[in-house]
Amino acid sequence: MKDIAEQEVIDIGDMDVEAFNEYANEQGWSDGMPLFVPSEAKVAKFVETVRGDNRPYPPVPPRQIVPTLQALAANAVMAGCKPEYFPVVTAALRGVLDPDYNLHGTLATTHSCAPMVMVSGPIRHELNINCGTNCFGQGRQANATIGRALGLMLLNVAGAKPGEMDRSTQGNPAKFTFCFGENEEENPWTPYHVQRGFAPTDSVVTVMSGEGPHNLNDHGSTTGDGLLTTFAGGMSNPGANTVYGKGPMFLIIGPEHAATLKRDGFTIESIREELWKRSRIHLSRISRENLDTYESTGHKPDGDWLTIGRDPGDIHITVAGGPGKHSAFIPSFGGTTVACTRIAR
Amino acid sequence: MRIFNPSFGMAAAGPAKVTLQPVNWATDAIALISNSKPNARELLEGVRAMLGAHRPVDNIHFHAKNSASQPAPKELIEKVAKNYKAALLALGD
Repeated sequence: MKDIAEQEVIDIGDMDVEAFNEYANEQGWSDGMPLFVPSEAKVAKFVETVRGDNRPYPPVPPRQIVPTLQALAANAVMAGCKPEYFPVVTAALRGVLDPDYNLHGTLATTHSCAPMVMVSGPIRHELNINCGTNCFGQGRQANATIGRALGLMLLNVAGAKPGEMDRSTQGNPAKFTFCFGENEEENPWTPYHVQRGFAPTDSVVTVMSGEGPHNLNDHGSTTGDGLLTTFAGGMSNPGANTVYGKGPMFLIIGPEHAATLKRDGFTIESIREELWKRSRIHLSRISRENLDTYESTGHKPDGDWLTIGRDPGDIHITVAGGPGKHSAFIPSFGGTTVACTRIAR
Repeated sequence: MRIFNPSFGMAAAGPAKVTLQPVNWATDAIALISNSKPNARELLEGVRAMLGAHRPVDNIHFHAKNSASQPAPKELIEKVAKNYKAALLALGD
């Protein structure tokens, strides 16, 4: 008999859901939460949704196997996805397979990074993806299971087993799921996918290997200038990987903060430039020993300051969330990119 | 009931197999490669010092990845393959 890992289809007899979950745990397929059974019939329904996307997948690092659509669909089924979510999940997978995303590094690192999945375009509403109140949180099947499906693919296809290939020191709740939609309707500027050159009518998945959202609370500022002072203070984090890893980060502005910034004449570009100037980290906030490490790996200060990325272009900006005076900062792993993939439909 | 295996995949075509050449650890050129994390260099310096007690070290050289979080660049791998008979990699963290 073939080893289980080499069998595409496995006969599990007449297991019920509980027995299947025990079996899946034994195989190392679970993220610790209950799984749905990836039966042949369910998997077939998922595969049907991506029949128009015939591009082959490259080998998935670190395990370096070429996944079949059925194996990918099995992970989406187990995660609790509806079949119509599957093209979003496969687009997210294509994003993390962008060589500049550095999938091997982001999965094997001791850092806490998790794959952030942001959905833009008309598909957000078709799939009931939460773009508003509590968009990073619980409550919507699409948000919960699309992010989870990608996580299961990285566990089972890529081989990122916690404590084995996944060496994260503390991990991150975002590794269970981290998927949200842009709030394009309350974005007074340009939706992120359009900033990246896609048409407004395109549906696009954006991925970045990020930490969880860091809240930026500002109930007091009544001007855009005041908000940027708060944002910059929250972003100038000496412990962020991006300080010495030098890479991208997201600022997800809440709609009320966005309206204030827009009213005061700020654009995406001017916000980016202002934050680049204001979010530098003074050397007094970095230990001598840590600075020695930074300098020995080529990250020299600019005078008495360290920058939070390579250049202003590392600060990616969009709008999400609902009513309230909160925004969020999401620093990345550092050695990664923000990859966008149009959803094949 | 039959299920699809969520970890199934096809083996990727691997690189051409290379026949390893024997190494003379007493004389051959050796690359000492750091992953650019703290203490990797210090570890390699200790290795070089220990080798120095038994052999010349003028052809034992230090190298490092550009970034701890990125793969070694192709140019570095090619340089090491071209100029050294052995490489020792230190993973600091």
